Amino acid sequence: MILRSQAGQKEAFGIIVKRYAGAAAGSASLLLGSYEDALDASQEAFVRAWRHIKRFDTRFPFFPWYATILRNVCVSHLRRRARRRTVVLSDGHAQASAESNPVLLAERNERRDRVWQAILALSSKHREIIVMSHFQGMSYKEIAAALGIPMGTVMSRLHSARQALRNELTDEEP
Amino acid sequence: MSCDEFKPLITGYLDDELPPEERALLEDHLADCEACARELAQLTKLKEELSMMEFKEPTDAELARYWRSVYNRLERGLGWVLFSVGAIIVLCYGGFKLIEEMIKDPGIAVLLKVGVVALVFGTVVLFVSLLRERLAVRKVDKYSKEVER
Repeated sequence: MILRSQAGQKEAFGIIVKRYAGAAAGSASLLLGSYEDALDASQEAFVRAWRHIKRFDTRFPFFPWYATILRNVCVSHLRRRARRRTVVLSDGHAQASAESNPVLLAERNERRDRVWQAILALSSKHREIIVMSHFQGMSYKEIAAALGIPMGTVMSRLHSARQALRNELTDEEP
Repeated sequence: MSCDEFKPLITGYLDDELPPEERALLEDHLADCEACARELAQLTKLKEELSMMEFKEPTDAELARYWRSVYNRLERGLGWVLFSVGAIIVLCYGGFKLIEEMIKDPGIAVLLKVGVVALVFGTVVLFVSLLRERLAVRKVDKYSKEVER
């Protein structure tokens, strides 16, 4: 499908879009905290992926490449929001938690809903690395390249993010 | 090494991202340190919980709607490029002709001619300056980098 997309066949690209749409909208929803924004951002990221599809190296999986584009689109969304001053970027999770609900999970239960809300309550830096590692299946090398940070920083940032998530969940427990 | 230095390694260990020598070092430490072993157990549990959270697969109708929206944007993208190129050509040509006629017209006050020329040059300078700034930001913006493997 990638090769056919690189040859300019939109129908082939459509199959790729449909294959990854759920994961794309889901992870964007965690990054942005709003399902409407997530749909818009994930679709915009597919448009950008299509424009640059010829530069994609077919020896590697598609999704981590797309996830990097998606992350950049989400960062632009957050910057625009910050400029509009509807949300303070570093504290966007407070609003995100309020307006988002975990409707995108395959199997929901009370605990998973709580984990979803706890992820949204993390700082944007921590949330982003949790999404990349756990929901987009990116390796440390891929995360390092996407964020422009050394592999050691990926490991320490992911560790802090997991500790923060664990603390968030511990605080919520009755 | 102290526990604080070992702790980030626990995450690498959990994700199977540690080189063999660091892995062996951490395993030796875990055998002796109850606090780090507890940290590993807690993070393992958290990772398992996260791995069970999967996104819902959209229905066929939702996927069709989603793709239609992406497809429309792909088409509109080309339309916008053509529109923008056309608009720039028409505006530049029209503007040039208008200014040319205005300058040649002896009925228009010199002060007004100077004002219009200053306005045009000012706009060009501002545009070039903004463009240069955007390009410079793009060069150093880590968010614009694509993933390298």
